[in-house]
Amino acid sequence: MIWIKLIFGGTGRRSFEAIAAGVVLAIAIAIVVGSLMVVEGARAALSQAERDDRPDIVRVTSRFNRALFETPRSGTLPPMTLPVYEPLIDPAQLAPMGNRATVVARQSFLRNVVFDEGFLNIYVFGIEPDLEWRISKFSLSRGRFLRNDDRDAAVLDQLSAHALGVDIGGSFPIRKADDQDLSLTVVGILETVALRDPPPRTVEAPSPIADSSFVSGGVFVSLRTSEAIFGRPTLTDALIVARSLRDVPSVVDQLQEIFRLEPGVFIAERYNQFFRKVHDFTLTLGLFTGISAATTLLAVAFASNLLHDVYADRRRQFGVLTVLGFSATWSLAPDVALGLATASLGAIVAYLMAAMLGPKQFAMPSLMADLGVVEPRFDGLVFAAMVIITATVVVLGIVPTALQLRRASIARTLSDDGL
Amino acid sequence: MNQSPFIVLQSVSKAYRRGATIVKALHEVTLEIRKGELVRLYGPSGSGKTTLLNLIAALDYPEQGEITVGDQNVTRLSRADAALYRNERVGIVFQAYNLLPQLTALENVLLPMIPKARLERQRAVRLLESVGLGSRSGHRPTQLSGGEQQRVAIARALANDPDLVLADEPTGNLDDENALMIMDLLCGSCRERGKTLILVTHDRSSVQLADTALELRAGSLTKT
Repeated sequence: MIWIKLIFGGTGRRSFEAIAAGVVLAIAIAIVVGSLMVVEGARAALSQAERDDRPDIVRVTSRFNRALFETPRSGTLPPMTLPVYEPLIDPAQLAPMGNRATVVARQSFLRNVVFDEGFLNIYVFGIEPDLEWRISKFSLSRGRFLRNDDRDAAVLDQLSAHALGVDIGGSFPIRKADDQDLSLTVVGILETVALRDPPPRTVEAPSPIADSSFVSGGVFVSLRTSEAIFGRPTLTDALIVARSLRDVPSVVDQLQEIFRLEPGVFIAERYNQFFRKVHDFTLTLGLFTGISAATTLLAVAFASNLLHDVYADRRRQFGVLTVLGFSATWSLAPDVALGLATASLGAIVAYLMAAMLGPKQFAMPSLMADLGVVEPRFDGLVFAAMVIITATVVVLGIVPTALQLRRASIARTLSDDGL
Repeated sequence: MNQSPFIVLQSVSKAYRRGATIVKALHEVTLEIRKGELVRLYGPSGSGKTTLLNLIAALDYPEQGEITVGDQNVTRLSRADAALYRNERVGIVFQAYNLLPQLTALENVLLPMIPKARLERQRAVRLLESVGLGSRSGHRPTQLSGGEQQRVAIARALANDPDLVLADEPTGNLDDENALMIMDLLCGSCRERGKTLILVTHDRSSVQLADTALELRAGSLTKT
């Protein structure tokens, strides 16, 4: 009880300053916390946009062209032509990119699968399982995913499996380039597939995402198997993942240089588009951060000055405690505790104000809206900012008084205070 | 009364810098006080009385000389050791009482016991009763008269049963009647408990109560 009175009592006419310091801190920290919560929410939105857009990926695609496809061997349907990628990309040309980026090679093509009751158009993707797993999203329903060294093995989405009438361990034929059939054994059934940069959907084929204009399912085999089906190692498309965002422009330049004599190969990047999109966003974040910083500086200076007045007035208590045999640390402890209590109370009130009065969602205007709605969030950084502001106010408030008390003898301190 | 010196000051000098001027507060003061002795220290304003008390209480340091209290050299104690020394061995009574206004009389008496982490509430109550304030232990300083506040300050000075009590003009803010009572109480309490008392005062009523009178003039000591 005595300690509580030592901490909170004896402020006399300076009680107003202590209360004012708490109120100023509460308002200032509320602004800072509110701004930082928006900043943190916006950073999360940016990160999400970056994960979704993947501006670090540069896409290399071959010309999209029509090719002749055979009709089923039984029946009377005529041959037809269907648009597919041409396999124009030589993997050897992409080899130099290995130093600065990861090359995710693909062969994507269409096949007619003929079985007892008819035939089915189906997209077949030759992929490098380990690399593709990192940029596309696959979730397995049953079985296992492909391995790089798999031969004549396939995983496919549930809809395609159902259409083909196969399950784990079953097999189905795929016509190879040499006009022979290759039997693929099903090793896994996919629950969901979200292929990064899939080809356009041009043919009626099983599609887990109805009405999607892009291919959302099909048969996935290892690149080794697809080369056997295709009869050639050239790629239809490839994704070049830069090691960092800053490397993207130079990666694009290098790719353009590599394929400058290949009119059928196209290079597409989202880097510039992404940064145009986030430019205003980052400027707005900068504005909020600036507001936070300026508010922090002003509030810290003002509140610490108010606390300093309180401390200066409590030198009498410090002197009396010292004379009675309290160590310097214990003599100053009530002052530090008062500052901490005032500032902490201000910080808690500030957090409650920011949490209750702040918007649950923050809509960015115009271009920035493309990045989605920002949800202000309270995280470790915001908490750390609150703690740092609170501690700084207390320290800046008490340091001048503490230094003054340390430099002067206790007798001088007592006489200065009229003791 | 023990005849061996309890407090020894050997050629103690102290000067203050006041702007560009150096003021010699004490000059080559040599002094011996026996244990249990009641010493009256007087002299004109600015003669160094308070400075001498501050040095003995280790609230300040002398430029030269040695100060010994009991078997402890207190000339250049660290802040921590000085705090411990004051807490265990010295009780101080000020002219302005210096009670903490937010605490009750009882809590003010308990205050010196906090550094020892041993709050002897019964002892504090008995001390307040001994100065005639047993019924007012729950009152705050603002609810007490000047004389009552000084009686609380005396009880506080005796809280840790110190060997030495230093009183700096304890009756300076009191009327004659209260001054006489405080002087009787202070000297009586110290004599009763065998404490050594150094009393800085202009009050003539203490002349009969003190064993020794010391006069300070311009920083130098004259024993009378």
